[in-house]
Amino acid sequence: MNGEAILPYLIIIPLFGAFSMPIVNLLGRKAREAWAVIITGATLAVGSALFYSVWENKSIIVYTLGAKSPLGQGVNFPIRIVWEVDLFGAIMVLMVTLVGFLAVVYSIGYMKHDTGLDKYYTLIIILELGMLGIAITGDLFNFYVFLEIMSIASYALVAFRNDTWEGIEAGIKYMFVGSIASSLILLGIALLYGQYGTLTMSYLAVKLAQNPTVTAKVALALFIAGLLFKSGASPVHMWLADAHPAAPSSISAMLSGLVIKVGGIYALTRILFSIYGHSVSMKTVGWVIIIFACITLIVGNAMAVVQNDMKRLLAYSSVGQIGYILLGLGIGLAAYGSQTGEIAMAGAIYHTFNHALMKALLFLIAGVVIHQLGTRDLNELSGLAKTMPKTTFAFLIGAAAIIGMPPLNGFASKWLIYESSAIFNPILGAIAIIGTAFCTAAYVKVLYTFFGRPNERVMKARDPEGSMLWPIIILAVAIVVMGLFPWQISDKVMIPAVKSLENQLAYISAVLGGA
Amino acid sequence: MKRTIAYLSLLFILGVLLYIANPNYGLVFGPGGKEWLTLRYTDNYYIQHGVQEVGGMNIVTDIVFDYRGYDTIGEATVLFTAIAGAIALLRPWRRDEK
Repeated sequence: MNGEAILPYLIIIPLFGAFSMPIVNLLGRKAREAWAVIITGATLAVGSALFYSVWENKSIIVYTLGAKSPLGQGVNFPIRIVWEVDLFGAIMVLMVTLVGFLAVVYSIGYMKHDTGLDKYYTLIIILELGMLGIAITGDLFNFYVFLEIMSIASYALVAFRNDTWEGIEAGIKYMFVGSIASSLILLGIALLYGQYGTLTMSYLAVKLAQNPTVTAKVALALFIAGLLFKSGASPVHMWLADAHPAAPSSISAMLSGLVIKVGGIYALTRILFSIYGHSVSMKTVGWVIIIFACITLIVGNAMAVVQNDMKRLLAYSSVGQIGYILLGLGIGLAAYGSQTGEIAMAGAIYHTFNHALMKALLFLIAGVVIHQLGTRDLNELSGLAKTMPKTTFAFLIGAAAIIGMPPLNGFASKWLIYESSAIFNPILGAIAIIGTAFCTAAYVKVLYTFFGRPNERVMKARDPEGSMLWPIIILAVAIVVMGLFPWQISDKVMIPAVKSLENQLAYISAVLGGA
Repeated sequence: MKRTIAYLSLLFILGVLLYIANPNYGLVFGPGGKEWLTLRYTDNYYIQHGVQEVGGMNIVTDIVFDYRGYDTIGEATVLFTAIAGAIALLRPWRRDEK
């Protein structure tokens, strides 16, 4: 399949869907919901085809907007915006389109008591568009534009239930923190442009290697700071713990599963590996990331244990899991080029994908519980297993996967991270294990409540309708099926993704044509 | 305590930014002559080839709508999102409508 031919549709379809939504909305409620499902479904089809094409050809797709070649006439530098999709980007595309589609299907049932749904579906499609734009871009300023699209859509969606105090409070908090983080990133881009005169990532990498300057290091510090904010790493995770519980659950699933990873982890990885590659000391940067990863691991998982609010618990658990991904990324940088580093990075990418599935599943289930019972307080949810057996079973799968039980997908990805961190530095391995101990305690606590004696409030709860149940079933099945082939997936997809990520030269020469 | 650390780090960031704003160590302001070609080579390309490649007399619109038109679509989407978000948040409350 020709990946280059289908790549533009990844942006065209959601863009068309979002801009046409106000017109389709005139046809009524059914048309609007069907339109949102069709658009995200078509995006999922394009995303899977793109992933398959990149994976099969083991190549980097480069697409120039507006010309055949990114290079100008008679010069050897790129003058146009390019898209550049390697296997890592393609994995992110698949993840975003899959979870985005399921979240939209889920919204049909979940959001039916809310008003302003035309705006809701517009924003959720734009949120997906923003993340896809980040995942495929090869241009630094374009990355910023799509980061802003994603951020603004998510600010609005977090505060979407404007009649709840917590929605508005979380939205304001998220917006202030997020805007400061975005402006740090913009400042970094401005500094790099002022120093090197180009915005294309691959050409910037060449320029950086030729002439590493202090300006580039300051810009890198600004990028790391801004993107750690966006990914919800500790000590700047506080917006996340407010935003995720306050948002509608379909949005929490997208925020926790996708936004913090594409806007944070993916962008950080791309900038560190593909732009800065060999021009800064990878060891130093790696250790900086590792330190934040260890704080994040402990703080996120420990705070999850003490929560009584179900969605807040899941939000803190997301912070904890981001810690694992950052730990993998940090070791991947600090042990750059060795096998340990490769395995750590593969674990980080694998865990990114797995956590998107698991956390989307758990947040969708939390949404079902809230929808049926109207409470998120864990103390009032005891005995849910009696009245909502399917939902509870799906939660059991999700919780077991996030802890890392062997037959499920979380096991393999966490194992890769444990293994490499133990080889790299036993103390880091111990910290990772402590984090998991807290994480296990948190989820056992939830499960203990679910399987307890039913209280009267729970007795009238039922399993949800089809449009809310099917996304949950699909995610649970995906988790189980991925859990059956952990090492095959790791060897065939994740390790090649790391190899292509570490091969900075291939990334550069894909755009510059070997020049 | 927290506030003191915050102001101290702001001071540090300001110091670092002032350091790299010094042409001797970092960014060059108003590059001209030879520096123009090493630092602003893309701008130079746009100025030299813009009229012939794009056909507009205004370099800025040439860049914004042709060379980097995709960013402009992105900016239009940002505006659209901001409007959609603002009217979504300023809609009447659920219980008020009934």
